[in-house]
Amino acid sequence: MRLKLHWAPTSPYVRKVMVAAHELGLADRLDLIRTTPANVVADVAAENPLGQIPTLVLPDGTAIFDSLVIVEYLNALAGGGLVPDAGPRRWQTLTLHALGHGVIDAANRRVTELRRPPAEISRRLLDMKHAEIGRALDAIEHAPPETGRVDVATIAIAVGLGYLDYRFEQEPWRDGRPALAGWYAAFASRPSMGATMPTA
Amino acid sequence: MKLCHAPLSPFVRKVRIAAMELGLNDRIELVPITSSPVAMNPELAKINPLGKLPALVTDDGDLLFDSAVIVEYLDALAGGGKLIPAKGADRWRVKRTEALCDGLCDAAVLMRYEVAMRPAEMQWPEWIAGQKQKVTQSLDALEGQAWLFDDKIEIGKIAAACALGYLDVRFADLGWRKRCETLARWYEAFAKRPSVDATKPPPS
Repeated sequence: MRLKLHWAPTSPYVRKVMVAAHELGLADRLDLIRTTPANVVADVAAENPLGQIPTLVLPDGTAIFDSLVIVEYLNALAGGGLVPDAGPRRWQTLTLHALGHGVIDAANRRVTELRRPPAEISRRLLDMKHAEIGRALDAIEHAPPETGRVDVATIAIAVGLGYLDYRFEQEPWRDGRPALAGWYAAFASRPSMGATMPTA
Repeated sequence: MKLCHAPLSPFVRKVRIAAMELGLNDRIELVPITSSPVAMNPELAKINPLGKLPALVTDDGDLLFDSAVIVEYLDALAGGGKLIPAKGADRWRVKRTEALCDGLCDAAVLMRYEVAMRPAEMQWPEWIAGQKQKVTQSLDALEGQAWLFDDKIEIGKIAAACALGYLDVRFADLGWRKRCETLARWYEAFAKRPSVDATKPPPS
């Protein structure tokens, strides 16, 4: 079964799905349909009215989104272990995923804000989102995931950190967060992460 | 359980309606949170570092967010498969619909912040138009969906009702009922459910 994925090389939301697909051994079943920020709404609207990527399309035309639902779908398809089925482990994993996803959202909001005409950029909003990211990373530093843990939560955190490095290269998120920095260095060496590095 | 809440949040409302429909409402204590996008509530930050509502503290002391996770937790607590089908095509339709309606709310909230939180000269008309397009396209996608009218209660319908209720409070001038007459008919009936009526947002 071939699956169609609306895709862009720098979207962290897309990367989350791609890392999951690589980890599940499903990456070669995806037909990637490339889009751009300027065209995404028009390109995707028929299948996702929010005009967002990633959007997965099944052979019968059924659309699956958002990124978490896609990962859950792929995980079910592959019988994988990226999303625990039930019990406390499921709630803890999905909540940690929401934290990692929140880092992606806040970083993405900063990127969007910085694309505005200079006079319209809100310093207050940038600071607020920066602080949000800082609090989330501090919380993860305080209780970092165990090394070698690969699931939807650790994927979201790693993709979020990778996105910070990609968009805000000079920002020293590693300073004062040695546990998180060490954890990320190990996770980033996984083939699934290497195969999905953002490229302009 | 303790649920951090604010009366106008469509995401909190989704959780509250779900709890009522699952018969779990009397196990939830509401913790009112005064917060704004620019002033972080310290009590909330201890539970959810992102500072977002809703957030739940379970009886076991687990801290859960976001709204979709809390709803899944409550559904499992009530036996599972009640508001979210456990598997198969129905599960993906319901989860997709929830994501669609949450995305509609996200876009509406962004429109609202743009106007409410920024001086006029810093507002970006193209940005507002882009968010509005997401809202209207999502409404159009909900319009005429046959499953809205079956008698099952599920999280997609609850999320849709919360999104429409939010539009009524914040964007009464959008006139969505004229654009989506079938959806308006469904909402009129659905809004009479005790859970939906009891969680109606106060006028802003």
